Amino acid sequence: MPPIVQQIIDALTATPPLAGYLVVGAIMFAIGTWGALIRRNAVVVFMCVELMINAVNLTLVAFGDFLPGEDGLGASYAVLVIAIAAAEIAVGLAIVLAVFRSRRTVNIDEVNSMRG
Amino acid sequence: MTTVGQQLIVAAIPALPALVFLVLALFGRLLKENAQYVAILGVTVSLVFSAFSLYYVASNGGTPIEFSVPWIDLGVGGTFSMGIYIDGLAAVMLVVVCFVSLMIQLYSGAFMEGDSRFAWYYAVLNLFTASMLGLVVAPNFIELYVFWELVGLCSYLLVGHWYEKPSARDAAQKAFIVTRVGDAALFVGIIIFWRATGTTAFGEISTAAQSGFIGGSALTAALVLVFIGAVGKSAQFPLHVWLPDAMEGPTPVSALIHAATMVAAGVYLVARTYDIFVQSETAMLTVAYVGGFTALMAATMALVKKDIKRVIAYSTVSQLGYMMLGLGIGQYTAGFFHLYNHAFFKALLFLCAGSIIYAMNSYSLPEMGGLRRRMPITFWAMVLAGVSLSGIFPFAGFWSKDAIVASAYEEHYYVLFGMALLTVFLTAFYIFRAIFIAFTGEPRSEAAREAVESPGIMTGPMLLLAFLSIVSGWVGIPEGFGIPIRDYFAEFVVPSEFVNETLALEPHAFSFVLGGISVATGLAGIGLAYFLYVAQPQRAGQLARRLSPLHTFLDKGWYFDALYGAVFVNGAKALARLTRGFDRRALGGLVGGVGRGAMGTGGFLQRFQTGGVQNYALFILFSVLVIGLLVGAVAGAQWTLLVVALIAVSTIAAFAVGARL
Repeated sequence: MPPIVQQIIDALTATPPLAGYLVVGAIMFAIGTWGALIRRNAVVVFMCVELMINAVNLTLVAFGDFLPGEDGLGASYAVLVIAIAAAEIAVGLAIVLAVFRSRRTVNIDEVNSMRG
Repeated sequence: MTTVGQQLIVAAIPALPALVFLVLALFGRLLKENAQYVAILGVTVSLVFSAFSLYYVASNGGTPIEFSVPWIDLGVGGTFSMGIYIDGLAAVMLVVVCFVSLMIQLYSGAFMEGDSRFAWYYAVLNLFTASMLGLVVAPNFIELYVFWELVGLCSYLLVGHWYEKPSARDAAQKAFIVTRVGDAALFVGIIIFWRATGTTAFGEISTAAQSGFIGGSALTAALVLVFIGAVGKSAQFPLHVWLPDAMEGPTPVSALIHAATMVAAGVYLVARTYDIFVQSETAMLTVAYVGGFTALMAATMALVKKDIKRVIAYSTVSQLGYMMLGLGIGQYTAGFFHLYNHAFFKALLFLCAGSIIYAMNSYSLPEMGGLRRRMPITFWAMVLAGVSLSGIFPFAGFWSKDAIVASAYEEHYYVLFGMALLTVFLTAFYIFRAIFIAFTGEPRSEAAREAVESPGIMTGPMLLLAFLSIVSGWVGIPEGFGIPIRDYFAEFVVPSEFVNETLALEPHAFSFVLGGISVATGLAGIGLAYFLYVAQPQRAGQLARRLSPLHTFLDKGWYFDALYGAVFVNGAKALARLTRGFDRRALGGLVGGVGRGAMGTGGFLQRFQTGGVQNYALFILFSVLVIGLLVGAVAGAQWTLLVVALIAVSTIAAFAVGARL
C-alpha cells in the first residue's frame, strides 16, 4: 500500500477535528441564510431555514462531543431544537397554505401587505 | 359695650341683603316677579336695623359700635380680623345706602317688569347693597378690600345686565377694567401700610403713623395709592372714563351706582381713613386738587351731552369731585355732608330720567320736549332735584355745597375756590339745560307726544326722594345761620380729636356773602339755561355752531376715550400681538418642531418597513452579527468571535456566489 494511500485512509478514518464540524456547520448556515434571504418561493425559504437550524444542530452536537464534561448536554439541546423545528415548520406550512389559498401564490415578494 | 343681640342685629345689616342674594340666586327661577318682595323685605329690615345702629351711636354720644372676630391667623405673621366698626360716619352711610337701595328696589319692580332676568337683577342688586354695607362697616383695610372688590363685581354684572347689547358688554368690561387699575393701586397701598405697621386696621395704622412707624414719603406714597383706589371707584380724573359708559345698565342701577353704592365708596374710603390722610399734607392737597379739577372738567363735559343719562352721569363725576375737594381741604364734615345730600337728589335725578325712558323708550334729549304736561310728577321731581343739585337756598344741596365752596375760600385755596364757583355755574346750567330741553317746548318726536306718567310704584319713591332732596340738608344747617336749629350733622359726623389737632382749622362762622355769591352763581346758570333753551332756543344752536370745535371737544369728553384708546388699549393690543407672535413663532415653532422631527424620523424609518419578510430577515442577520461582534470583542470570548467571523465570511461569500447565479 503506497504511503500516499495510507495517508488518505488515515485521514479518512481519523476523528475529524472540531474545526471541520464548525466549518461545515458555518457553510450550511451560510447557504441556509443565503437561500432564506433571496429565494422567492416560500416553501424553499422554509427549507433554507431548516438548513440553518440543522447547521446549528451540527455545531451543538460537535461541541457536545468535543468539549469535556458537558455530559451530552449539546446533543439533548439538538433533540430539543429538532422537536421545535418540527412544530415551527408545521405552523409555517399552515400559514403558507393559508396564504396560497387566499392569494393563489407563494411568492413572498408579492406578500407585502404589512408594508408601512 | 354692645350685647350679643345688638351685635347680631348690626351684623345682620349687611348679612340680610347677602342672604336675599343667595335665596334669589338659588330660587329666582321659581320666584320670578315675586323676587322683588323678598328683596324689598330684606332691605327694609336692613334699613330698620341701620336706623337702630344710627340711634344707638347717636344716643351714646358718638361712641362707635365696635367688635371683631379673628379671620385669618398667620401666627407670627399677624392676624386679620373681620369685624364691624360703626361710628357716626358709618351709621349715616348705612341708613343712606339702605334707604336709597330700598327706593330703587321699589322703583325697579315696575321699571324692570317683563325683563327676562328679573330675579337675577334683584339678586345682584341685593349683593350690591350687601357689599356696600359690608364696605361701610369694615374696620380694616383687608375686610374693606374684600367688599370693595365685590362692589366692583356687582357693578360689572349690573352694568352688563343687558349683555345682549354689545355696547352694554363693552361698558361693563370698561367699568371693571378701569376700576381695577385703581383697585390694584389700593392693594399696593394696603400692602405698604401692612409692611410698615404690621396691621391693617384703620385706627391702628393711624396710631402707628403718629408714632413714626411710617412717615414721610412712604406715608404719602401709600396714601396716594389708596387715593388712586378711591379715584378709580369714585370716577375721578383720570379714571373717570368708565362712569358715563356705565349708563348702559338699567337706569335704576345707574341711580344706585351713582347715589349710594359704587361711586360713594371712594369718597367714603377717604373719609374712613381720614386720620391717616391728615398726616400727609401732600396727600391731602392731591385729594383736593384732583377733586377740584374733576369737578370742573366733568361739569364742562356735561354741558353738551345729548343723552339725558350721560348728563347726569357727568354731573355725578363732578359732584364727587366736590366731595373730594371738601375732604382734601380738611372739611371732613362738609365733604361727607355733600355725599349724604347728593345721594338723595342724584338718585332722584336718575329715577326721573328712568321715568322718562320708561315712558319714551329713548335716552336722547333732542327727541324729548314738551314732557311737562304729559309727565307732571316727573317734571316737578326733576326740577326739585335740579335745584338741589344747583345748590339753591334752601334746598339740601345748598347747605353742603356752600360749605365746601365757602371753606375753599376761607382756607385760602383761591384756585380751588374759583374752580368750585365756576362749577356751580356750569352745574346749574347743564342740569337745567337738560330739564328745559326735555320738558319744555314742543314735543319733538312721536314718543314724546304719547308719553304718559309712570305708575305709582315709580313715582312714589320719586316723591319721597324729592321731599328728601329739599329737607335732607336741614339737619346740617350751620349754627351761624341764625335759625334756632341745632347742626345735628356736624355734631354727629365729627372728625376725630386727632384730625382737629393736626389740621388746626379755625372755625368760620357762616358767611352770608359767600353763600349769596354761590346762590347767585347758581341762579345765573339757571337763568342762562332758561334764556338759551326756553326764551330763545335758536340761540343755543347758533352758539353750538359758532363754537363747534369747543362743542366737539366737550362732547367727546375732552378726547379722554380717544387718548386712552390710543395709548392703553392700542398699547395692550400691541403687547398682545407681540406675545401672540412669540407664542406662534418661538413656542409654537418649538412644539411644532418636535412634532415635525418625530414625523420626519417616522417617515425615514417607514422606508425600512417594506412588508417583505426577507428584508426583515436581513436586518435580523446583520443585527445578530453586529451584536455578536460587540459581545465577542467586549467579552473576549474567542470562540464566539470565531463563529461570528466565520458566519460573516461565509454569508458574504454566499451572497457573492448567489449574486452570480
